[in-house]
Amino acid sequence: MAAMIRPTKTPRAGEHAGALHIEGVSKSYELGDRSLPVLQGIDLFIPAGQFVSIVGQSGCGKSTLLRLLEGLDTSYVGRITLDGAPIVAPGLDRGIVFQDHRLLPWMTLEKNVELALRMRPLPARRKAELVREYLALVGLQGFERAYPHQLSGGMAQRAAIARALVNEPKVLLLDEPFGALDALTRIRLQQELQRIWMRSGSTMIMVTHDVAEAVFLSDLVVVMDGKPGRISRKIPVPYPHSRERGAAALQEIEREILALLLDQPGAGAPATAFAAPAPAGGGRLTAVKA
Amino acid sequence: MSARAWRDRARRVALGATLPLALLGLWQLASRGGPGAAYAFVPLREVGAGFVEVARSGELRFNALSTLREAFTGLLLGSLAGVVFGAALGLSRVADRLLGPLYHGLRQVPLMGLVPLIGLWFGNGAGAKLVVVSLAAFYPVALATAEGLRQVERTHLELARALVLGRRDTLRLVLLPSAAPFIVTGILQALAFTWIASVGSELLFSATSGLGGFMSLAQAAGRMDLVIVAVASIAVLGGLMNAAVMRLGRRAQRWRHAT
Repeated sequence: MAAMIRPTKTPRAGEHAGALHIEGVSKSYELGDRSLPVLQGIDLFIPAGQFVSIVGQSGCGKSTLLRLLEGLDTSYVGRITLDGAPIVAPGLDRGIVFQDHRLLPWMTLEKNVELALRMRPLPARRKAELVREYLALVGLQGFERAYPHQLSGGMAQRAAIARALVNEPKVLLLDEPFGALDALTRIRLQQELQRIWMRSGSTMIMVTHDVAEAVFLSDLVVVMDGKPGRISRKIPVPYPHSRERGAAALQEIEREILALLLDQPGAGAPATAFAAPAPAGGGRLTAVKA
Repeated sequence: MSARAWRDRARRVALGATLPLALLGLWQLASRGGPGAAYAFVPLREVGAGFVEVARSGELRFNALSTLREAFTGLLLGSLAGVVFGAALGLSRVADRLLGPLYHGLRQVPLMGLVPLIGLWFGNGAGAKLVVVSLAAFYPVALATAEGLRQVERTHLELARALVLGRRDTLRLVLLPSAAPFIVTGILQALAFTWIASVGSELLFSATSGLGGFMSLAQAAGRMDLVIVAVASIAVLGGLMNAAVMRLGRRAQRWRHAT
C-alpha cells in the first residue's frame, strides 16, 4: 500500500521516521457499573511520512483514538507503538493541534510557540530562530509580538500549527483543526497544510468531519463506524501531491466515502436521546465545487 | 484628549463632587449652632488651620508615612502568604480538605474580634499590629488565589501535558498567569482591608505613630479639628491607593482586553 501512495515530497533535514502501529486497541468508559465501549478492535498501520485522515459520525471515537495516540489517555487495551516504542505518555515526538487553537491568551505568539520548546535543551538563540522560522512557515511573520486576541480564528489556528510543528515531531496529530473556521479560510489552510506536510516529512493524522478535506489531503482515509467505534473501511487516495482541489478523481473517492457514511446506521437520526441531532450526516460535509 | 472627552470628564468630576460639597455645606451650617455644635462639627476654617499646622510641622506626613509603611508591609507579607496558602488549597485536594475548613471558619471571625488574643500573644506594639494587618491581606488573597486556580481552563492544562511541561513550568507559565486576574482582584481588595486594618490597629493597640495614633492623641487633647484632618487624610490616601492599584491591575492584564 505504501508504495503506491508515496508522495512526491522533499523532506527537510533528513527523513525522520514516524511509523505508527495500532494493534487491537479497545477502550471503554466506565459509567457507574456500566461499561460503555468507545473503541473496539482498532488495527491500523500508518507508514512514516503518510497523511492519514479519520472520518466518521460524531461520537464514533475518532477523537478518542487521537488522544490515545498523543498519550493524553493511556487507559486502553491493545498496543500502540511509534517506531516500535510503545506510547505511554505525551511526548515531543508527537505534536497536536486541537480544534480550538489553545493559545495561551497571556502570551504573545512568539512565547506561545516557544512554550513547545520549553523542554528542549537548546540555547535561547536557537529557540528564537526556530520560533521565527515556524511562524514564517505558517505565514505569520510580523505577528510575533501579537497576542492571540488580536488574531482572526484562521491566524490563531496557524499559530497553533506552528507550535505543534516547532519540535519537528515525527507525528502531527490534528483534531478537527479547521472545524471552527469559515469555509474560505478552511480551504486556504488545507492548501497550506498540504504544502507544510510535503516540506516537513512528518506523519500526519487528522480527524475531520469534512470528507472533501480528508480526500484532498490524505494518502489514506480511514472510515470509522460508531457504537462502539471501529474501522469500517480504509480507502487509499492514490494520487501524488500536490493535488488540485476538486479534481475529478478525488471527487469520485469523496462520493464513495460520503455514500459509506450516509449508509451507516444512525447517520441520519440521533443514536441516543442525548446526542445532538447529527448534522444530517452530510451537513458538515462540504461538497467540492470544481 | 478631544474637547468632547474633556467635557465628559469634567461632567463626571462635577457629578462626583456634588455630594461631598453638599455635605461640607451642611457641616458648615451645623457648626453655627452654638458652642456645643462647634465642637461636634468643627468649622471648616478651623479644620483648614489645623491641617496647615500639622502639614507645616511635618506631623501629618510622618504619621501618614508610618501608616502607609505598615499597610504595605502587611500587604506584602499577607499577600505572599495568601498566594502560597491559596495555591495549596487550589492545587491540592488533600490540602483543601485538611486546611480548608479551618481557614473558612477563621475567616468568619472579624479581625477586630481577634485583637484581644493577638494582643495576648504578640504584645501591644508593632508586632501585634503587623499580624493584624497581614491577616487582613492574607484572607482575601488566599481566597482569590484558590478560586483562580480552580477556574483554570482544563484545556490549558491538557496543553501543558501535551507539551510535556514539568510541574514547576505548568505552575509558573500556565496556572498562575491564568489565575492572575483573580489574584490581582484579591490583592486589590486586600489593599483596602490592610489600610483599614492598619488605622484600626493603631487605634486599638498602643500606637506611638501613624494616622490612627495621631487621631487618638488629637481626640484625647480635644482637638476635633485634627481628628477631622486625620479622617480626611485616611480617606484620600486610601482612595489614591485604590486608583493606583486598579491602574496597575489593568496594565498587568493587557491581554484580556482587546486593544
